[in-house]
Amino acid sequence: MSWMNIELILLIALPAVIAVFMAFSSSFKQRTRNILAVTGAGIELYLVFSLFFLNFEAVKNSNFFLQYTIGYSNPPFVINFAMDNLSLLFSLIVTAAVFFIVIFSTQYIRDKESRYFAFFFLVLASIQGSILTADLFTLYLFIEAITIFTTPLISFKKTEKTTRAAMQYLFYGITGGVFFFISIILIYFNLGTLKMAAVAESFVLISTPMQLTIIIFFLLALIIKLGIFPIHFWLPRAHSACPAPISALLSGVLLKVYLYIFMRLFWTMIAFDFLVELHLSAFVLDLALVSSLIGHVFALQADKLKKMLAYSSIGHIGMILAVLMLNTEAAFYGGLLHIIAHMLMKSGLFLSSGYLLRTTLSHHIDDLKGIGHKNRLVFIAFIIICLGTIGMPPLIGFVSKWFVLLAFLEARHYFGAFVVGAGSIIALIYYLRYISQAYETVKTENKTLREELVSLKVFFKSTNIMKNIIYLFTLLIIFFGLGYKFFEIPINTAIFELLNPQKYIELVLGG
Amino acid sequence: MEIPTETQPEVEILNKLMKKALVSFVLAGVAFALYRSFALMPAYQGLNLGLSNYIIESGLKDTGSLNLITAVLYDYRAFDSLGESTVIFGAVSGIVLILSRKMLPVSSKGLSFIVKRTLGIMTPFIALFGLYIMSHGHLTPGGGFQGGVILAAISIIFSIVYGSAFDYRRYSPQTKTALETGGALTFLGLGLAGILMEGAFLQNLGFLTAETGTLISAGSIPYINIGVGFKVGAGLAIIFYSMIQKTFEEDF
Amino acid sequence: MFNNLIFIILFMLGFYALIMKTNLIKNVIGLNIMEAAVFFWVISFSDVGGEVSIHKLGEEVTKFNDPVPQALTLTGIVIGASTAALLLTLIIELNKFSGTIDREKIEGLND
Repeated sequence: MSWMNIELILLIALPAVIAVFMAFSSSFKQRTRNILAVTGAGIELYLVFSLFFLNFEAVKNSNFFLQYTIGYSNPPFVINFAMDNLSLLFSLIVTAAVFFIVIFSTQYIRDKESRYFAFFFLVLASIQGSILTADLFTLYLFIEAITIFTTPLISFKKTEKTTRAAMQYLFYGITGGVFFFISIILIYFNLGTLKMAAVAESFVLISTPMQLTIIIFFLLALIIKLGIFPIHFWLPRAHSACPAPISALLSGVLLKVYLYIFMRLFWTMIAFDFLVELHLSAFVLDLALVSSLIGHVFALQADKLKKMLAYSSIGHIGMILAVLMLNTEAAFYGGLLHIIAHMLMKSGLFLSSGYLLRTTLSHHIDDLKGIGHKNRLVFIAFIIICLGTIGMPPLIGFVSKWFVLLAFLEARHYFGAFVVGAGSIIALIYYLRYISQAYETVKTENKTLREELVSLKVFFKSTNIMKNIIYLFTLLIIFFGLGYKFFEIPINTAIFELLNPQKYIELVLGG
Repeated sequence: MEIPTETQPEVEILNKLMKKALVSFVLAGVAFALYRSFALMPAYQGLNLGLSNYIIESGLKDTGSLNLITAVLYDYRAFDSLGESTVIFGAVSGIVLILSRKMLPVSSKGLSFIVKRTLGIMTPFIALFGLYIMSHGHLTPGGGFQGGVILAAISIIFSIVYGSAFDYRRYSPQTKTALETGGALTFLGLGLAGILMEGAFLQNLGFLTAETGTLISAGSIPYINIGVGFKVGAGLAIIFYSMIQKTFEEDF
Repeated sequence: MFNNLIFIILFMLGFYALIMKTNLIKNVIGLNIMEAAVFFWVISFSDVGGEVSIHKLGEEVTKFNDPVPQALTLTGIVIGASTAALLLTLIIELNKFSGTIDREKIEGLND
């Protein structure tokens, strides 16, 4: 019985065990620690991929389902973990992104690595936990754990700015957590259960004003965590204060995990019809669109590179949330594809900006002069990823934005379509601002074609892992832009889960 | 030119008052709406609908623990407690990371002789009480967390009464860290033992159960309690000693 | 009914302290009041007039209170304590940099 799907526990326990090892690895050699970190993340990735490929037939037929029950396995079980296609998709992309970020940070972090990796793997464990869990209280626990474990990483550099950002992040995070807890408690008081599937079955029984209260508290918590417009102040500061790999983790990975939790709560647990009935879906849709526009506009006036990228994240997350709220198949396709695209692009952008900013005095735009000449190839990669974020044709950003636009047009929601287009144009302006600044020549190095070729040769020989990770992200963006059909099966099956939550509910409750 | 300097503060105060009034008004409105909404809540449902009835009826039989709250914490919802102790572990390491300064925490020379002597006599009893609470978690109110907090309180009283260097010299941070990790690993190890022996992660170890009501009964619950207790005690002590390091600079 | 009222009042008081007070430590206290309000509410609401859910040897108890919310509260308290400790640590650290714990005087926190 429960022997079958022990992998689900392993996915959570393995990073946690590695984290404990890492916490006491300050006496290790650096090489050993790096190998341990990369191996750990690699095994995690291998586990998820093996889950995908071993069950490929089931995934294809949309009846992939794994479950692990903790403790008493006869019907009155209490906590269980479940993995369906939606969780598999998110687990897959999150683990892959985290694997590359780990490789990058083995070279990037040069100080207190043992603590750094300990927290990194604790965050990974809680991310996996929050993706896999099928119990509300465990979900709350993991969300709080993510907040607590990322805080020391944000204040990792220990300057005034980072401490301030971390404190603000923690204040907002805990307030969101309290709202989430109230919602969970209200559900427990009304229904006497914390299993998401059981809640889904009997959510109808709750009186309407109570439903409204529960949904509003959940929405408040998730809006705080996602950094949607009225409560977004903490996000740019927190995401720009930390070291580059952590920015990539927060902006590229964590926001998507919160989006996953959003989907899990509002499509599987609370059926989406309730949101429509209570007139909340239209409200959230408009809020997300306004947030998207405001994020892009704020990015326009941000004078620091990483702050600009963080504001652009607000814009993209608002757009994804808005398109998901349309609740059509096309909208899910665009939204999920853009989640993957944004994860790739934002991680790549933050990592390359981290690499570029090592040679500058500060993050300020004035200090970026001539940076494009100093690190030619990395900056070209940066430009390519920027173009992807704007939505240039052969890249994945274009494909996903195209499907988002189509979804908005199909639903005849023209304001949404306008926001997608306007966001792209504004993004073009603010990226160009930085790119032109970077190519503003201070000193000209007249390299001939021959020299270029030589430097290209050096590039192929060079073993600079950080650069290679950035190139890898760039290549992935180009590759998946041409071959976005690769994601067809996982995304379509995930959409099946979103449209048919009944399957998840029955399978969880059935045993 | 004198007028603006005098009116300026008044305007500011007025603005502040306005803001306060506005926020209070909004909060009162939200409170009223919430109250109206909560008034519709049915009488307590948890017992009739959910698992609670099952836990109350067969909790004793399943786990062998008289204290049903402990049974929920360390058996039915043991995974939550494991996650929670990981959260403490993370918080403690985070605080150590944020406040890491290689400084010996000396804030005071301690209190008078009488207090020191009295505490010297009392300490073993406080420690015994803490250990009692920890090890009897499955029989009486209490458990790992509560007992651990009492143990941490001893450490804190030491720093107040004997001066903060005393406890630091007696029990170095390394010892506390080792205790904390040991507690966490005990928990995790018992969970893995659950896989090997009972077939499910964190399942109660059946072969450890004994006659109900005795000290060593209830499967793995007492051991988890002791592990968690030492973990929480050491963790809170580490947090306290990390925080008071600041006083070093001021008091000299 | 009373427990709902008291929960809401306490919660709103804590929320007021969190958003209106400029002293950062007072903000943390406000946050803790909010959490404590939720915990009081959970415990008081789940009290159906039964015994504390601990069996006594040789005694049959007919009606127990629900043990699950109490266990949830215990977990919540521990998480609240850890977050409060982390917040206070960050405030201590911030005080070292800027020499104040007033939110309005710390540069860049209120813009």
